[in-house]
Amino acid sequence: MDNLVALIPLFPLIAATVIGIGYLLGLLNGEASEKTTAAVASWAITLSCLLALILLGADLLGKNSGSWVLGQWLASGTLNIQINFITTGFSVKLAALFCMLLFIVIRFSVNYMHREVGFHRFFFILSLFAAAMMMLVLSNNAVGTFISWEIAGFSSYLLIAYAYDRPVAASNATRVFVANRIGDAGFLLGIGFSHAWIHSLDWSQINTLSAQLSLRQASAIAFCFAIAAFAKSAQIPFSPWLARAAEGPTPSSAGFYGAIMVHSGVYLMILLQPILERAPLIMILVAIVGLLTAVYGFFVGLTQTDVKSSLFLSTTSQLGLMFLECGLGFWQLASWHLCAHAIVRGYLVLTAPSLMHYIRDNPIKPFFSKIANLRWAYIASLQRLWMDQIADRILVKPVRRLARDLAYFDDHVVDRAMGIPIPAMHTVSSLAQLEKQKIDGKLKSQDDDFARGSGLIGNFAHRVAAALYWFEDRLVIRGIGKDMIDYGRRLGHATNKIEQLLLQPGYLALFVAIILLAAL
Amino acid sequence: MINEAFPLLSLTILLPLLGAIVIGVTRNVNFAKKIALLIAGLELIATLVVVWLFDAANGNNFQLVEQYAWIPSLNIEFLIGIDGISILFLPMSALLTLVAIIASWNSVQNLTRFHFALLLALEGGTMGVFIAMDLMLFFLFWELILPPIFFLIGLWGAGPQRRGAAMKYMLYMLFSGVLLLFAFVMLAVNHATQMGGSIPQSLSFSFPVLLNTAIPDNIQAIVFLLLIIGFAVKIPLVPFHTWLPTTAVEAPTQLTALLVGLKLGAFGILRFALPLTPNASVKYAWVLSIVGAITLIYAAMIALQQTNLRRLLAYASISHVGLVIIGIATLNIQGVQGAIFQLLNFSLIASCLMLIAGFIQHRIGSTEAVHLGGLARVMPRLTSFFFLFAAASIGMPGTSGFAAELLLIISAINTHPGLGVAALLGAILGAAYTLSFIRRAFFGPIVHAHLNQVQDLRSREFGLLCIPALLVLFWGFFPDLVLDINKMAAESWLNRLVH
Repeated sequence: MDNLVALIPLFPLIAATVIGIGYLLGLLNGEASEKTTAAVASWAITLSCLLALILLGADLLGKNSGSWVLGQWLASGTLNIQINFITTGFSVKLAALFCMLLFIVIRFSVNYMHREVGFHRFFFILSLFAAAMMMLVLSNNAVGTFISWEIAGFSSYLLIAYAYDRPVAASNATRVFVANRIGDAGFLLGIGFSHAWIHSLDWSQINTLSAQLSLRQASAIAFCFAIAAFAKSAQIPFSPWLARAAEGPTPSSAGFYGAIMVHSGVYLMILLQPILERAPLIMILVAIVGLLTAVYGFFVGLTQTDVKSSLFLSTTSQLGLMFLECGLGFWQLASWHLCAHAIVRGYLVLTAPSLMHYIRDNPIKPFFSKIANLRWAYIASLQRLWMDQIADRILVKPVRRLARDLAYFDDHVVDRAMGIPIPAMHTVSSLAQLEKQKIDGKLKSQDDDFARGSGLIGNFAHRVAAALYWFEDRLVIRGIGKDMIDYGRRLGHATNKIEQLLLQPGYLALFVAIILLAAL
Repeated sequence: MINEAFPLLSLTILLPLLGAIVIGVTRNVNFAKKIALLIAGLELIATLVVVWLFDAANGNNFQLVEQYAWIPSLNIEFLIGIDGISILFLPMSALLTLVAIIASWNSVQNLTRFHFALLLALEGGTMGVFIAMDLMLFFLFWELILPPIFFLIGLWGAGPQRRGAAMKYMLYMLFSGVLLLFAFVMLAVNHATQMGGSIPQSLSFSFPVLLNTAIPDNIQAIVFLLLIIGFAVKIPLVPFHTWLPTTAVEAPTQLTALLVGLKLGAFGILRFALPLTPNASVKYAWVLSIVGAITLIYAAMIALQQTNLRRLLAYASISHVGLVIIGIATLNIQGVQGAIFQLLNFSLIASCLMLIAGFIQHRIGSTEAVHLGGLARVMPRLTSFFFLFAAASIGMPGTSGFAAELLLIISAINTHPGLGVAALLGAILGAAYTLSFIRRAFFGPIVHAHLNQVQDLRSREFGLLCIPALLVLFWGFFPDLVLDINKMAAESWLNRLVH
């Protein structure tokens, strides 16, 4: 039964391709073709669902061999990346569960998105996401997981920006994607280390061969993957992105941030259980981060007044608890928690819009009285502990400032030193330059021959005088005279500027970072 | 290995050059355009035949070699051939020229015949750069591509300062040419000295011969430095990069697409600079990788600050080539194969992004972010293609950009973790500047009312973007097709340097 596994992610991928091409060629457009799009997406996920259930059944009956290889994707030297799948254990169970949840989300969206402008676009992205999630839980190597990890992130970006003419949606989508990219960088670094030290990228190999690694190496690999998991599952310090992601349409929120995608971080931790157990420090880190996130989600959730924010913050704290369980070594508990939470949260988010209709006229429940009376705690909770602002302050703004300074440097220093800046050709930019040009012109004037001799000797003397004058003018006066002062002044300004820049703490931090990088 | 049969490789150089001459003597503009299209199409077919004839299992040797005497007194030959490193650049540049010709089909209104003749001449010169095996012949083609570019920037440029930009480009390139010439002459003279012969008679400019000539270490260091700086100007690497943003804003976009798509400088480093000076390369590769890392981060930072799409794409292309240089300098197989792959990707990704910027420029008259906004609503097809290529340029899985970037990043981490972190930082910044420009230009409400009347991609433009888009996806799913072709060549390239 193993060979069925490749078809599970393939069907939604085919659906996405069909819808994408149809949309691009203008074949699927408007309300008339909504049925076609919905049918393609629903049939694909139904087939995947059936296959996932068959695979699960075969696994429970013990008919699966554990892994299945489709073929080679990329080979270069010792780097050999296969397309292979896990066909037993937790991954298969999770695939079946996620597939059913995806089926529900897609079926729900068919009615929910009816007559929306981006109907076809929505189903294209959702099918792509379904394919990515199936690949994520079933892939047996790090690169395959990373590929789907990225595609899931990208489709999440596209769905947050679903209502792209709303500026908030567009900027939130960008912010979420870039925040996630930091985690992706951690994932890639983990892949690089695994290749360098273990010479294999299969999860099973990474887990078994990590026994031969030193503590430092095992910790480094575990740390990189833990960063990736923190970012994907919105753990501290990445938590704020989950609230920003609420911009997307409800069914997508349910799929991505309620039930399915946010759990992939926890899944990665459970998958990497052996290597994590060899890195006790990272286990402690995971537990601490999980605990902090759970507290954060609880504390901030207390003051939320809209249904989506409360649901997302509650998701955050549940995920935090799962990480805590992983960090403490309760892997079995964490996996049960994951499955149960996925089902409950999927239901809650999908029914949130109807809930709002039912309780429309009810008065808002007052806040928890203890926090309402503590003003600082109340403000901190409302401001979500200033996580976004802190990230802005220590990461986004310094990068922007550095970028601005570098752009200035590029235009005013590098371009001038290296070439001819176009606007400066044949033009003067300041009054002083104009003055200088005038004086130069006078000195070089050809009419200036009041002492001109005649004849051979006279001409000779004139030539010599001209040559000496040239020497004096070019080398002595210009070299040491007025230009020297000019250069000196400019140099002074430049050094002043550099010193001012260096005194900024951001640059000091940058230098330290560069030195650390080199010393790594 | 001399090919006695049909001189196919000479044909790939001569066909476009002849086409340029034919266009020059025709009177009818429409006829001239059709000839240009026909020649570019034939050229693409010819290069595909070359790929067909190429034997990848024997890719470490030069194939389809043609050898004729050219200047016998100095031992300069007309020696051309292809190996696994250069082979795929031929069809890619033919495809790119074809796409550029179709993209500028209606947008060039004055001196139309001259424009298309120059594009074909440029194609001929570029082919020569990729297949020349004699250093002097390489230098000839290297300089031969400058006049067409000079006139293309100066005559049909989009910006008001196109003349200045053309001059700037020319001065930079002549500077780089002088360094290359000097290095090549040093190598030839060294060959004569090593052979114990007299200077004009036993000079040699043949690349395969020079590969086997012993070079003293001090000469190697000088030649390495000259070649690296010479090629760095063309790539361009920081601090020699400022011509590219200027050119991107001032030049016609079909030409900029060719400039950012065909990274001749990086090809030069791969083909000539490192193999000709093996000891110096191994000794100083770390310098090259640091320059690459600086270029990567520096250009990405500046791109974050850009408001003009074409300038942004220029800096993005500088930043991406920084990663390629890191890959070359790591001197491991993943780095070299990734570098070749990524250079091929540029001819699809960077150039198509630039062409799309050209379509926007042609419709709206500007690529400044403040003049755009909300384009996704009025131009869904153009936006879809822009998204696909932008995703490929930030290394999104499923596109060819990912496979190449993965190889480069793994090779960087393998060499030095710090280098790997720099590469990953570049990837994060790449996502930031690309997506924040998309946010400003394509998302958000439509601010300028006249954008409501803007036309989406016409079927001609749609068709010409389809082929690169499909190729990007195809290579993304099956990267081994590309890697298999350059595998042997990359391995022997590496074996020459690190024994």
